[in-house]
Amino acid sequence: MNLSRIKNLLLQGDANFWADLEALTAEATEFDELIFLSSLRKKAAARRLQRPGGAPSPLRLAILGGCSLYPLHEVLTHLLESTGLRCDLFLGDYDNYVAEIMEADALTAFRPEVIVLLPGPQRCKYSGGLADARETVEAAARAVAGDLLNLSATAHERTSAEVVLCNFVLPARHDLGEFRSRTFASDWTFRKLVNLELGLNAPAAVRICDLEFLANRAGTLAAEDARGWFESKQPFSPRLLIDAGREMSRLILGLRTPPKKVLVLDLDNTLWGGVVAEDGLEGIEIGDTSPRGEAFKAFQRAIVSLKQRGVLLAVCSKNDHARAIEPFERHPEMVLRASDFVSFKANWEPKSDNLRRMADELGLGLDSFVFVDDNPAEIEIVRQFAPAVTTLLLSADPADYVGQLQDCRLFEPRSITVEDVNRTQQYRAERERQAASSSAADMNSYLESLAMEGFVREFNRVDAPRLAQLINKSNQFNLTTRRRTEAEVYDLIGRQDHVCLSMRLADRFGDHGLISIVIGRVDGALLEVDTWLMSCRVLKRQVEETMLNELSRLARLKGCSSILGVYLATAKNEMVRDFYSRMGFRTRTATDDRGEYVLDLASFSMVPTKVTLRATT
Amino acid sequence: MTQAEVITRLQAIFDDVFLEPPKLTPELTAADVPEWDSLIHITLLVAVERAFKVRFRVGEVEATTNVGEFADLIVRRTTEG
Repeated sequence: MNLSRIKNLLLQGDANFWADLEALTAEATEFDELIFLSSLRKKAAARRLQRPGGAPSPLRLAILGGCSLYPLHEVLTHLLESTGLRCDLFLGDYDNYVAEIMEADALTAFRPEVIVLLPGPQRCKYSGGLADARETVEAAARAVAGDLLNLSATAHERTSAEVVLCNFVLPARHDLGEFRSRTFASDWTFRKLVNLELGLNAPAAVRICDLEFLANRAGTLAAEDARGWFESKQPFSPRLLIDAGREMSRLILGLRTPPKKVLVLDLDNTLWGGVVAEDGLEGIEIGDTSPRGEAFKAFQRAIVSLKQRGVLLAVCSKNDHARAIEPFERHPEMVLRASDFVSFKANWEPKSDNLRRMADELGLGLDSFVFVDDNPAEIEIVRQFAPAVTTLLLSADPADYVGQLQDCRLFEPRSITVEDVNRTQQYRAERERQAASSSAADMNSYLESLAMEGFVREFNRVDAPRLAQLINKSNQFNLTTRRRTEAEVYDLIGRQDHVCLSMRLADRFGDHGLISIVIGRVDGALLEVDTWLMSCRVLKRQVEETMLNELSRLARLKGCSSILGVYLATAKNEMVRDFYSRMGFRTRTATDDRGEYVLDLASFSMVPTKVTLRATT
Repeated sequence: MTQAEVITRLQAIFDDVFLEPPKLTPELTAADVPEWDSLIHITLLVAVERAFKVRFRVGEVEATTNVGEFADLIVRRTTEG
């Protein structure tokens, strides 16, 4: 983590310090980084560097516990304050929490809104023998848990505060060996029992901070710190301190932020492998016939289980609607079906626009939406133009998808009700009542922000295999769908009576590779477009305009005065039926199967684009 | 590694951690540096253990009284483990 920038911002008194602080804090993984950021925050406050946007009223937070609360309280308050939530802190004395709650004068006077209670592990020990009867040990575990829950309930009654109660980390050491799990009296089993009792019996005002789970997740050996215990009665490793602090801050902030309601999903390479409109129903990867197909199917199952918890599902995909819905209706391996979704947007509009429309139709705020996509450019457009939406960028490996969804922490229920389960139906009805309304994002500034670079070249031998592949694969954005072998592509290289162009596109997210091809044949003063195709991945990126600009320039050089565009209809290329009209061509003839369009070069002027041409013919 | 070499490497860590880093000498103590509070102290210890790949034994950091003794401790831990 590079900290020199934020140090300079602080030294210069630059208020951007706070945005940097929040971002760095969110991504910090090392304990010393986090503590250092906390130290910078305090220095900024001491230097009266104001956080922009003004401060809401502070959170009155009490932390009580059976071990040293330092530096946990430092971690927790920093995590909260870095988000802009200022904390007024009441810090309990070491192992004095019972008295602090029972004789609540000081605590009550503080009027806490949240009490974090961290009982010491020394309190969670069975004092009898290892061979004691199961019932005896279970009763003792219930008593330990009952005491803590009563104490939490008392704290809540006296102060009205929400209580965050930590449970117990399981011991990491082999100690009793195999016998550990054969008796209820081992520390290991006893703590598990107590934790179960705590979780199952906690009243609504008490949230459990599940340290058992957090320590298991990171590894219990990595969670303990014997030296810290002896030096300062602080039992947790730096690793667990961070995890516990983040969990507590999430629980506390969770009390103040509404939950997410809608999970919006991309389709191609998100719910299945491949591009349905290109690869067809048979070509997509979904289901138990391949490892990748299994991974996508498992992801769909994880999504269905969210739906069963009451999360609304929706689709937002750059796609042809009829093609996009086909797998849901006809593919036997699909887990998700069209009826699982409250909204299904498969079109060519910007996804941010679609999400906004969806929110209007469903009568929900965009801040309750989570958008999932495998494509960083789509995530970026949503981040820029619908910033209230939370985005989740999927990993490059579909095997990670389930884990990413289950770790996203956006759909965690406090309790599950019948209403949750029926919600999908309610919202479908709501949407059907509403008419669609549209709002356009500022497409130009989005395109500008992509920093696109185009490389338009005449056909050459190096590109030939990729040219042939694209010519034979493209279905949707393909005006004439004329297929050519690699040998036929070679024949076109260097032909004086042809203009054969390909284009590569790169943007700040990476290289899209060779994505568009135009083949024109010169016939006197006329250039007839034999082939015009493009990968749908780069729709609405002004690739079409860039190609037309180059084509017209070269046509003029060949002495042509007009360009003839031909559209030949197929089952898959409906989306380009009016392509030439959109590009400013005049319609000469148009039937269902075929259209001819003419562009008069004398009156044509180049279309301005946001694509910077890096290499031309 | 000598005490002086350790102090040179320590200086780099201090430069990262302090807003206005002190010039390290063997005689320097935390009390001499206003910015050196308990927060900075924890940051330093964790950063030092990571940078030098050492783990201090219970109680021994507390027993050091100045930068020189702290550096000597690091020398011992890097040689003895």
